[in-house]
Amino acid sequence: MSLRLASALLLVVLLGAWEAYCRLGSVPALIVPAPSSVFATLWGEIASGRLLPHLWVTAAEMALGLALGCAVGLGTGILLAEAPVLQRMLHPYIVASQVVPKLALGPLFIIWFGFGMAPTVVITALICFFPLMENTLTGLSQVDPGRRELFRMLGAGRLQTLLRLKLPSALPVVLAGLRVAVVLSLVGAVVGEFIGGREGLGASIIAAQSVMDSSLMFALFIVITLLGMLFYQATLMLERLLLRHHLKG
Amino acid sequence: MSIERHPPPFSPHPEERRSCASKDVPSGSGASGSILRDAIPKGLAPQGEGLDHARGRQRETFVAIEAARYGYGTGPAIVDDVDWTIPCGAFHGLVGRSGSGKTTLLKLAAGLLQPEAGRVRIDGALLSGPGPRIGFVFQQPTLLDWLSVADNVLLPISLKRRPRSEDRDRAQTLLELVGLGALAHRHPGQLSGGQQSRVAVARALVAEPDLLLLDEPFAALDALTREELQDDLLALCALKATTVLFVTHDIGEAVYLSDRVAIMAAGRLHHALDVALPRPRRREMRYEQPFNALCRELRQAMDEAS
Repeated sequence: MSLRLASALLLVVLLGAWEAYCRLGSVPALIVPAPSSVFATLWGEIASGRLLPHLWVTAAEMALGLALGCAVGLGTGILLAEAPVLQRMLHPYIVASQVVPKLALGPLFIIWFGFGMAPTVVITALICFFPLMENTLTGLSQVDPGRRELFRMLGAGRLQTLLRLKLPSALPVVLAGLRVAVVLSLVGAVVGEFIGGREGLGASIIAAQSVMDSSLMFALFIVITLLGMLFYQATLMLERLLLRHHLKG
Repeated sequence: MSIERHPPPFSPHPEERRSCASKDVPSGSGASGSILRDAIPKGLAPQGEGLDHARGRQRETFVAIEAARYGYGTGPAIVDDVDWTIPCGAFHGLVGRSGSGKTTLLKLAAGLLQPEAGRVRIDGALLSGPGPRIGFVFQQPTLLDWLSVADNVLLPISLKRRPRSEDRDRAQTLLELVGLGALAHRHPGQLSGGQQSRVAVARALVAEPDLLLLDEPFAALDALTREELQDDLLALCALKATTVLFVTHDIGEAVYLSDRVAIMAAGRLHHALDVALPRPRRREMRYEQPFNALCRELRQAMDEAS
């Protein structure tokens, strides 16, 4: 508790130092806006109702991309883990496709999917796909041999073993992948908007830059950070709920 | 006979398969001080000493291991030309040092491994893989931590079909017999090591197997808990006259539990010791002269074998 208090105090001290530096050092607001003006801008954006639609667009892109990428990643991970032949055949290509910087594909996606949410959702999904697939693959291959033997002894079929042993055993590793994917999905959504978005927090940053409004950019950073932390905390809660009976360590 | 008067959860299924229980039914264990003593339902209480030697009598062979051999690659065989028979309803022990091939032999008897040469017959039929007639208790409890204790016990049934209310009753009765009736809704993470082992034994028995195979199930437990579990195991196996093969490296445990103990060394069976102690086995027997003489004899035979 006292640690949390100290953590909050640190924030106050840092903000105070930043404010003092801007005022006393007469730094131009274009380079580094003072916290007071950032918060004033932020409040103005919220009060005027301009912020909320952009926040919704980015959150929707993030959620859609995350859902799509995770579903495909989980499915591919299961498929590759269950069919070693397929794994040997396809895994090198999947890794190669991930090494290609996905953001560099953005301009191509705009040609394919047009402007708007679609290219950003696809980029986000591509980014989220990989941690889910890799962690599913790892989790499914690390099932305790003793329990596997138990299921063999009990005459469990392949699908039963997958659904009732392998997936529940792999769940902690899969959810660790989800946590990584959640953080990456925000990067995907914001940067995707940089490239082809008309709406959203990322597109708003580009718009603020074009009018040299640094304090609006800082205000958007704060909103993006809060959005990311909200998604991350939600994932942690989901994890705690799903793993409440799993043994630790 | 005691079995007939037992409440429904443990009713035998003579129409489904031949059960060893249809012949000589040994009495329930009267293991003194066991937590089972109060939990055993009416009609299963110890029946006196008259049936004590029932298990020792000559009976039909239930498990027949014939010239079985198993090895990995070109190295020396892990199980080498083993012959062994277990009569219906008998409790056999298998002792030996680590790496002597005990576990491999047990897995051959379970159908988890197929012998390279020779064969394994269960009730006359050639064994080609694991089946519902065989229960197996592993060295580790291998419980699923995301399922409740009751659902863990029901696992062998829930993998076949949706558990019915009588299945749940049977699981609950088994849990009560091992003293965990009140913990059925807990999860394995909330149980001690001994309690987890008890759940594993209950799980192996819930589908009412005719043959129970145990691979050093109590090796990781403290001495007192181990003694309690040994008494519980004897009582549970006596309920349905289950045929048992019990692997251990503990000489006292083998003598206390078994009708007959085989010694395994370097993949071969060397010596078989008949344990003529009366049943039900009682805890005081451990400190009496016949028990200790048998332990000494077994120990000497083990030294000679290796």
